[in-house]
Amino acid sequence: MKRVAEDELIQVRTTVNGRSYTFSTEARVNLADALRYELGLLGTKVGCEHGVCGACTILVDGKSARACLMLGVQAEGRDISTIEGWATGKELNPLQESFRRHHALQCGFCTSGFLATATELLRENPTPTREEVRERISGNLCRCTGYETIVDAICDPEVAAFARGEQSA
Amino acid sequence: MSKDQVVEIRKQAIGQSVPNKESATLLTGRAEYIADISLPGMLHAAFVRSPFAHAKITHIDVSAASDMAGVELVWTGADVLIHTPGITSSVDREGFVPTTQPAIAHDIVRFVGETVAVVVATSRQIAEDALELIDIDYEELPVVANIEQAHAATALANEAVPNNVYFRNTRVNHEVDDAFSNAALVVDGVFHNNRVSAAPIETRGCIAQHEWTSGLTTFWSATQMPGILRTMLAMFLQIPEQTIEVITPQVGGGFGQKAHVFPEELTVCLLAREIGRPISWIEDRQENLLSATHAKHQLNSMALAIDEAGKFLAIKHHSTTDGGAYNCLPWTVGVESECGAPIVTSTYKIELARAETIEVATNKCPIGSYRGVGYTAGHIARENLIDRAARKLKISPFEIRRRNVLLSEDFPYTNATGLITREGTFLETVNTLERMVDYDSFRQRQTAARAEGKYLGLGLSIFNEVTGMGTRALNFLDLPITTHDTSTVRVDPTGTVTVTTSLVSAGQSHATTLAQVAADALGVPVDNVVVRSGSTANTQGLGTWASRGAVIGAGSIGRAADVVREKIKQIAGHMLEVSPADIELADNGVRVAGVPTRSMTMAEVAGAIYFAEAAHPENFDPTLEATATFDPADLVLANGGHAAIAEVDIDTGIVRIEKFFAVEDCGQMINPMVVEGQIRGGIAQAIGSCMLEDLVHDENGQLTTTTLMDYLLPTSMDVPDIEIEHLETPTDLVPGGIKGMGESAMISAPAAVVGAVNDALACCNIFIQQYPISPERIFQELQNAPN
Repeated sequence: MKRVAEDELIQVRTTVNGRSYTFSTEARVNLADALRYELGLLGTKVGCEHGVCGACTILVDGKSARACLMLGVQAEGRDISTIEGWATGKELNPLQESFRRHHALQCGFCTSGFLATATELLRENPTPTREEVRERISGNLCRCTGYETIVDAICDPEVAAFARGEQSA
Repeated sequence: MSKDQVVEIRKQAIGQSVPNKESATLLTGRAEYIADISLPGMLHAAFVRSPFAHAKITHIDVSAASDMAGVELVWTGADVLIHTPGITSSVDREGFVPTTQPAIAHDIVRFVGETVAVVVATSRQIAEDALELIDIDYEELPVVANIEQAHAATALANEAVPNNVYFRNTRVNHEVDDAFSNAALVVDGVFHNNRVSAAPIETRGCIAQHEWTSGLTTFWSATQMPGILRTMLAMFLQIPEQTIEVITPQVGGGFGQKAHVFPEELTVCLLAREIGRPISWIEDRQENLLSATHAKHQLNSMALAIDEAGKFLAIKHHSTTDGGAYNCLPWTVGVESECGAPIVTSTYKIELARAETIEVATNKCPIGSYRGVGYTAGHIARENLIDRAARKLKISPFEIRRRNVLLSEDFPYTNATGLITREGTFLETVNTLERMVDYDSFRQRQTAARAEGKYLGLGLSIFNEVTGMGTRALNFLDLPITTHDTSTVRVDPTGTVTVTTSLVSAGQSHATTLAQVAADALGVPVDNVVVRSGSTANTQGLGTWASRGAVIGAGSIGRAADVVREKIKQIAGHMLEVSPADIELADNGVRVAGVPTRSMTMAEVAGAIYFAEAAHPENFDPTLEATATFDPADLVLANGGHAAIAEVDIDTGIVRIEKFFAVEDCGQMINPMVVEGQIRGGIAQAIGSCMLEDLVHDENGQLTTTTLMDYLLPTSMDVPDIEIEHLETPTDLVPGGIKGMGESAMISAPAAVVGAVNDALACCNIFIQQYPISPERIFQELQNAPN
């Protein structure tokens, strides 16, 4: 394993939302902060910095991950997907659109984390039951909505159609 | 016109579930919260916080921290004291003890988490590294860790508070003893409500920027009350108010916790003025749980006297608040028990009442406001005693409430604490909930489940809510405060509408709901209205708290729009050659009443006003904008109720909330989808606050729950789907008949949750009076049960 000095900057090459980035960071900087402050991708939110609230959830190589529990240097060679990459141009994707329609967000701070978790679930299973959705999103905390409309949004038939397309693509 | 004027609003967009205008911004990560703001040259602040609940600072050496590369400045309490004594908070009531919380503690720390020093550095990481180099010696002082120790007063939590008593009060003192002696039934209990945190997912934060050449200070804060914050920065820091602009970015939830002025905000503002560079402070979760105000910590003794027919005769209530070491600003320590006592009889006809309150000082974080301010603990006590009485009298929990709620023939009804109820659907609420629950079949199901060793229970709670808190409401709560909130409405040159308001949003969808109000006031489409809030440069007001947004927003926007509307009628009448009184505003324009073909678009009217003097009547004042305040003429009372069904596993102590029902009557709804969002979110907080959440202090006053692994917020597995029904009883105090409702679920739903568990365990002679109801609590209750 490569040894680095405490304040030495490490160069990281990674892919975020389909685009290649190279940035330099201290070894101790977590991935959430690296995304936010090195790459300017501020849509990933930080709510607890100890992996409980789920606000910073992103997709790393297609799997949901807590950006606050990974280090920025662990982005090396990874394919990362964040909220900034989920709309197409000025068009919300069907999951985002469903969240809007179902009022599945209020203050919006936890939203990117929920979208990440739901995206991963829907790729595995385009038509989850409400119970399966509740189980899967239980690692994301929302203080505003009471969760029901988030479940509604993820279970929406239009989302299932989109998710099936994603799955076969 | 007077500030309580109720203008007419033609209902069109109001009542529709218009999708939230802010959603796309929030769903794409493009909204800007406080931690997303970066300014050129910005520095970062981090605070050292006291590890002791009560201690003398005997030595503090910041030299090593100051010398660290990247550190710009280190301040201790002594440095900040030169600029400000801190936050003095009081309420103008005889005998109330004010306190001053230093911006940074000096000499003495009075709770774990109080600020002791601050480091400003080029990055947050460096600032946090430097904190560890600050050398501090403390000499521990005796700790007042709880209400019992506060009463014993062998030590003082804060030497400014004699005998550890901030305030005591008797809100109502009827002769109740005879009623209790003669009652057929008395139910009573001592209820220990837990200390909780509003815990928004976004923590607190602020950024200050000062330009010495112009003298202007810009202060960004994730606050619910930018107007108050601006005035308090001016007062406590001696900064001319006109030089301060407070900007509120997108706020990631507030729930009352962000409706305070904090010592950190004073400090950061002073630092920016000292250094001349922008300074950002973003709190971490541990700081939030330690120091961002705690809530709901009441100890209540309550007794209810009831006659043989199940009618309530009298209520006795004694409430103690574990207030912490200082008064929060602006609410003071009175935010809990003092606000709860005036509504202790709730929606019931209880002629006789005694309500006594006391707030004590302890070495804990100050108690502050959190959704359902003051009400929650008293509701849990009263509604659970009512359920208990129903069980003893062998009548249903619905029936006992039916026999005691205010009925329409009672209106107007002045209750024991002086609250006047003019309307409300209390009986309808009880009946609706009974139907939704399907009560008879529930009892059958409960009996069948019991035979299988399952413990099901039903909890019920009904409420009224003082909403749209204005001067009358605050005075009723014995807070001698005048409210003042403005909105500005402008019809733009192209006929679109710009509204600016002092009511910031932390997820309440004001950009949509207040646009619906303005649209209907001016007869334009919702999409032609934009609502701007979030800067004190626009309008003045006290902010978004106490279910105010809908009421104060509709009132002030309505009044301002009315002035603009009259201008439009004046010029349109002139141009269409009819009396202004014959002009109607509708369909994005004006028309002559009864002659729809004689019309103009709003763009044509606005264009004529702004750009065509020849079209103006004589002496026409073309100002097409107006600013107005609103302060309702009386208390705006919403009402409703909640029912919960819970299953208790007596082997594990785990409780599952199986079903939840809510009835809400907030008058004319502006946006049903938003109303239901508020109800669902409040119910989730209700389940959390009485089943999971607990700020636990040890005997040294040390907070032991400083992460979200210890302080348990409800997840999607804890909160069931919720059935909601609406009743709509409009008020004539607010345009459109609109009432507030944001706090309702946290007022009343906790009582239903507790009631469901108590109903499930009533067969074991268990009546839980200490919260949260953790599995451990249930285990202990079962161990101690009489049989």
